[in-house]
Amino acid sequence: MTRCDVLDVTRARPPSAPEGARASTPQVDEAALARVRDGLVEGIASVVGSPAPGDLVEVTLPLLRRARTCPGSVGRVEAPFAWKPVFARRSLGLAAVRACADGRFRGPAGAVGPLAAEAVDEWRRTGRRTFHWEPWFEGLGAGARAVVLAEATTWAGPLWAAADWAALGHRATLGGPDDLWTSPGPRTVRLKGRWEARVAPAGAPDGAPGRTGAGPALVSVSGGVPDEGWTDELAFLALVAGLRSPDHPVPARVVGLWPEAGERRTVEVDEASLTDAAEHVVVTVASVVAARG
Amino acid sequence: MYTEVPRPPVLPSVGVTPPGHTVDMTTTESPWGEGYTSGGAERVDLDGGQWQPGRNGRVGTVPVDRVPHPLGGAALLDRLRVTGLARPTSDPDLVADLRSHIEDASALMGVDGASLVVTPNSLADALACPAHAPDRTTPKEFSLPLACGALVGALFRQFVTTGTVDDAFAEGVEALAVDEHRAPLVAWIGDLAPAERAELRAEVVRQSEGLRGRWPALDPAWLPRTRECVRVSLSGGVELVTRVDLAIGRPTGAEASVAFVEVTTGSRRAVHRDVRRFQALMETLRSAVPPFAVATYFTRTGELEVDPVTPELLVAAARRCRAGIEAIISGRDVGAPTVGSPAPGSDAYRWCAGCAEAPLGRPTPVATIEALPAPSVPVAETNLTDPVAGGLAIAGEQAA
Repeated sequence: MTRCDVLDVTRARPPSAPEGARASTPQVDEAALARVRDGLVEGIASVVGSPAPGDLVEVTLPLLRRARTCPGSVGRVEAPFAWKPVFARRSLGLAAVRACADGRFRGPAGAVGPLAAEAVDEWRRTGRRTFHWEPWFEGLGAGARAVVLAEATTWAGPLWAAADWAALGHRATLGGPDDLWTSPGPRTVRLKGRWEARVAPAGAPDGAPGRTGAGPALVSVSGGVPDEGWTDELAFLALVAGLRSPDHPVPARVVGLWPEAGERRTVEVDEASLTDAAEHVVVTVASVVAARG
Repeated sequence: MYTEVPRPPVLPSVGVTPPGHTVDMTTTESPWGEGYTSGGAERVDLDGGQWQPGRNGRVGTVPVDRVPHPLGGAALLDRLRVTGLARPTSDPDLVADLRSHIEDASALMGVDGASLVVTPNSLADALACPAHAPDRTTPKEFSLPLACGALVGALFRQFVTTGTVDDAFAEGVEALAVDEHRAPLVAWIGDLAPAERAELRAEVVRQSEGLRGRWPALDPAWLPRTRECVRVSLSGGVELVTRVDLAIGRPTGAEASVAFVEVTTGSRRAVHRDVRRFQALMETLRSAVPPFAVATYFTRTGELEVDPVTPELLVAAARRCRAGIEAIISGRDVGAPTVGSPAPGSDAYRWCAGCAEAPLGRPTPVATIEALPAPSVPVAETNLTDPVAGGLAIAGEQAA
């Protein structure tokens, strides 16, 4: 369990920042972001080679990790997608934490069942899918459904305990659409960033104060233990969030939680951290292209 | 389904360990202390939904009667919650010492980029003497006890999560089937002969009824988590990994507020004690605050064996962990499989769980299903009153 008070993610960087955190002032203006973007586009162009029609390289956090820890696996053919409990736990777990923060439930264990049932009912009535897995979930027996709920409960527990989400109110956004950015060029390279929470700085109730305002903090939850590339991984989320829209400020800080290991790490976002993340992206794209031939 | 939020159980005010323990649980390691009183105990306040173990100053446990009945409901929770000891607090020096002690061994891995994952099972295997070492030369075969353990483990998780189990056998199989890694076991269960299948079903139903009859609903505010993974990364590329069947309690800071429960369908064995103490060590290293209690729940009998977590317990667990890592690494160095044997003459055999049981006079349980009670026998007439009567003897099979 991570004893992390995410409330402090929008405060000044503590004097004893974790090893690896940037020492410079966390500030990325438009000119700095433009330099990072130009370098990224140029780097990608130099490694993509001649694309096959329709070829897409999608860079995600898991792919970045695999490229560093197990380079041989980046080109492997993924098995056809099929729902399973571990795929559903994040979306249901996030919804549970959200509902708890809204005061509907006393904890994730009490939330997951009703939320799943509500989503299935909604899908039956309107055809709208809250989580996308409603038809699969409805087709499961009671024993298998319980596994889904249990996985979501266990996933949500550390995130719920990490902060006083209710006190953050509208400043905190738990879950949301992925950040996407597509590189210009002949071969489609798409960066996809997925965070679990975004906390707007104090005084910015909507979390979008504009490019000149202070950026939000992102919170990312990962399995396993943080390895040596954790700074680039967290900065990657800030990179994609910064590139995706000129209307949103670049995140000022990214907090990583590794509940299994009880670890909390923080990256203060600056031009250097974004540049490092961009270089990591280029290396990853090169690995994927090489693996695909 | 899910028409209302599960409510917290109504718990009586308690301040001392309940007198109604289960068979064989005559004492704990808690010393009698000055703070103990037999009556008028300090109240434990559960108002507000906070998980609160026993308060300070209640050192010692109530002498246990010999009535062999398992605890249920609020009494079961009290047994876990009220350890008779003050709650441990964060002790950074102790945590640093524990880590340093273990890393003296993990550093033997060197810096060649190798990695080693150490689990409770790999530790037990590495520390076993030749007479008790498991046979790793042949693949482990499925058996009725193993299947029973997996099914009941899944049902326990279901019960904790949803509060209901209707068709225990079918729902247990469904839970296993949704995990692709369990596909071979599910197929094996599906291929059982009708008589074997009936026996397995009867035992699963019996143990499920025990869970339903004894385990109260857990307040969501206590943050119950099932099969929670705990990892601790050490120097030398060594990673300690375990999975806790039930973790309960919301971390509150410097004072212990979390308890772990392991669930097993097997008989009471020394290895269960080793596993839960290893988990106490893991949580201490992970969170810098130990759990206040670690327990093993025996679904076959309804026993709940609880260890209050103390510095002495953690130090003993660290020593055993260090010895196990040394044994594993020494085995690797000579080209042995990942799980190696201690070198001849090593004193590592003193950690052998099999040898530890011999002084207890406990015969090794025999995996047999011949003692299965008739499925129609009401649970209340068998195991709720006599936990050692009937039942499936399972040789240390730990629930999934």
